Amino acid sequence: MKVTGRKDLEKLKDKGTASLFPDRVRIMVGMATCCIVKGADKVMSAIAEEVKRQGVRASVVPVGCTGLCYKEPTVEVVQPGKPKITYGDITLDRVPQLIEAIAKGMVKKEWALYQTEREEQLVQGGYHAYGRGTPKELKGIPKHSDVPFFRKQRKIILRNSGCINPEKIEEYIARGGYSSLLKTVTQMKPKEVIDEVTKAGLRGRSGGGFPAGIKWLSCSKAEGDGKYVICNVSEGDPGIGMHKSLLESDPHSILEGLIIAAYAIGAKEGYIYISSGYKLGVQRMEKAVKDARACGFLGRNILHSGFDFSVKVKEGGGAYVCGEETALIKSIEGDWGEPRQRPPFPAVSGLWGKPTVINNVETLANVPVIMTKGAKWFSSIGSQKSKGTKVFSLIGEVNRVGLVEVPLGITLKEIIYDIGGGIPRGKAFKAVQMGGPSGGCIPKRLSNLPVDYETLAQAGSAMSSGGLIVMDEKTCMVDVVKYFLTFLEGESCGKCTPCRVGVRRMREVLTDISRGKGKKEDLELLEKMARLIKEGAICNLGKTAPNPFLSMLKYFKDEYLAHIQKKKCPAGVCTS
Amino acid sequence: MVTVKINGKEVQVPKGATVLQAARKLDIHIPTLCYHEALTPYGGCRLCVVAVTRDGATQIVSSCNYEVAEGLEIKTETDVVLDIRKFVIELLLAEAPDAKILKELAQEMGVKPLKRFKPRNELCIACGQCIRACKEIVGVSAIDFAQRGYEKKAASPFFERSQDCIGCGTCYTICPTGAITLKDIAEGEKALLPDGSEVVGPARIIDNWKVGLELKRCKQCGEPFAPQFQLEYFTKKVKLPEDFFEVCVECRTL
Repeated sequence: MKVTGRKDLEKLKDKGTASLFPDRVRIMVGMATCCIVKGADKVMSAIAEEVKRQGVRASVVPVGCTGLCYKEPTVEVVQPGKPKITYGDITLDRVPQLIEAIAKGMVKKEWALYQTEREEQLVQGGYHAYGRGTPKELKGIPKHSDVPFFRKQRKIILRNSGCINPEKIEEYIARGGYSSLLKTVTQMKPKEVIDEVTKAGLRGRSGGGFPAGIKWLSCSKAEGDGKYVICNVSEGDPGIGMHKSLLESDPHSILEGLIIAAYAIGAKEGYIYISSGYKLGVQRMEKAVKDARACGFLGRNILHSGFDFSVKVKEGGGAYVCGEETALIKSIEGDWGEPRQRPPFPAVSGLWGKPTVINNVETLANVPVIMTKGAKWFSSIGSQKSKGTKVFSLIGEVNRVGLVEVPLGITLKEIIYDIGGGIPRGKAFKAVQMGGPSGGCIPKRLSNLPVDYETLAQAGSAMSSGGLIVMDEKTCMVDVVKYFLTFLEGESCGKCTPCRVGVRRMREVLTDISRGKGKKEDLELLEKMARLIKEGAICNLGKTAPNPFLSMLKYFKDEYLAHIQKKKCPAGVCTS
Repeated sequence: MVTVKINGKEVQVPKGATVLQAARKLDIHIPTLCYHEALTPYGGCRLCVVAVTRDGATQIVSSCNYEVAEGLEIKTETDVVLDIRKFVIELLLAEAPDAKILKELAQEMGVKPLKRFKPRNELCIACGQCIRACKEIVGVSAIDFAQRGYEKKAASPFFERSQDCIGCGTCYTICPTGAITLKDIAEGEKALLPDGSEVVGPARIIDNWKVGLELKRCKQCGEPFAPQFQLEYFTKKVKLPEDFFEVCVECRTL
């Protein structure tokens, strides 16, 4: 159905609401890649079969990631008259009993993680209230608001993740989706959209945190027609998948943000550039684009506003460096994914030489919320210079591994201990590594630092795409740096000498150190190399490649010295 | 025209010119390696870096591909700039210790080989001049970069015998480090290509692209003088008469 205005959108919203909150049982299975690797797909098939076998009147729905990676596979159940119950660790063998309980209208208390009484409807405001259930059947099940994992989280970017079926556009619309687009293209001038994003203080959610509004403004002012917008979903940090999760859990939030960005800068064409290997993400985004086109959110004369915009999903070849804007552009153009020197910046001369805005998925997912709730609301969240929230992949030596979204300005300690539940097996916390392979470590003694762009950069780390790797006392910092440098050496495009040869040689020296073959002048040499690679490399992959080394040297110099002088690895990791 | 200031001296250059061109106009020497004036600048080697101040912010950039803009202030020999250049040479010297051009540059800049790095003896320093020449000057694009990172080097597709190489030797002529070998073998002489196949002369052999291309004989003197493919390609490209290359340059009479 083609949507031409508010009335049509309301019709789709009603349809979506009926699907989200049906008058029968709704069983939701987390089905993002992170869930599937833990067997969620098999669990979902088993549930569907069991529901049929036991004759339960229920819809079984795949949803995105709830963030509870440590409890996958997760299943959420809404039974009429009861709160939503979230179950964790629902393995295949548990399925028959779970469905049996549901068939009897009961709650399987022993597997329940928590209950949700009402669902926040972030975009349109207000809450959807579930049933209340009886105290007896809910006894001992904590309330969502009391679960430590969620208490300090604030979900804006992940507002729909784990809540809606990512392949059903009407469920996205039922959560306020595309109402921001309608408002934007029918009631606001492009300049007003840019102003709102600027006032909101939205900063790029990867890399250096450049203000999105300023990027949009310089592109909208740039001379030339045929401008482009690109959504950057090229995420290559080892072990980390925030963008992947969002793409798989809520593709429309990204797409709506992209369409609004296109309207703001005057682009008629756009690309969604997705890392190679994100098959499920590509599939869900392609479905999203197709459905959005069918609804008239893409194509000619969008929502009868006279605005035309079309978008293509482009799968990359998988190089880490293609997350860098100029390399990404070259990759779309069909060339080697090699960065080039800036200026000219893509906002002035980007794809095919035309002014181009490139935004990260998280940045774009914020945009629809800002358009409806306003800059003032958005800028009330976060710290003074870093507004809004940030999604982190909380991994490593931490009890509750998961995908978390927190208001900026929160301290690292709160994330690691309050949300993550601290370090497992009674080990001591040593450091946290942030900012991906070219980020840096922050030691335990600085864990009271607030998480914002400036503070992290000053501490020698970075926000970047949002990996947060917790390390315990059994981690060797020389080994960690060697690991990241090996990764970066392999991902260097090889264009410039400092990165191609310099990073390699740094890694060689570090390997020597880790094997007890380090020389006493090595640290000085590594420091010099780090400084000149930072100054001399073309792009940010090269310029930031020495960061892991530099941050470790800043906080853990004694470990280097132990390896070099005493030929000893204090953590007992490195062997000769 | 655009006015920029280099090391305190003002110079006017046309819009679109690069900082390197502007510096050369002032006879200010900036060393280069991957740069060649006949080719699109690449900006890879980082030897030609300079410090550019624009709107109050100073940035280290490669001068060969940095376009001039009104009011730019450029310094070509700051400490950082000189340190980066020396570092680049130190790194490359360990890659290709025997490359003449690197030894000369090292001497010019007072750089000594770093003993800490194990020499690699890989003459290709991934400057890409051969690739750009083959594409932009010859128009054949027989070669390109293969691999990435430290393994990156100019190669024929899949490191197999090039199907498109015409044997013109432009790559060989332009390569700054002598990483490309080109050899003509005489009538009846035999040679082995890196893939093990045998070539019988008269032929031109370029090991890097794994080709052994037949040389055409002059109709008059009977001497082999150029690869058959090259002559065919040039005849077509420049629209010469079909029999133009029947005789060699020496035997050609007007």
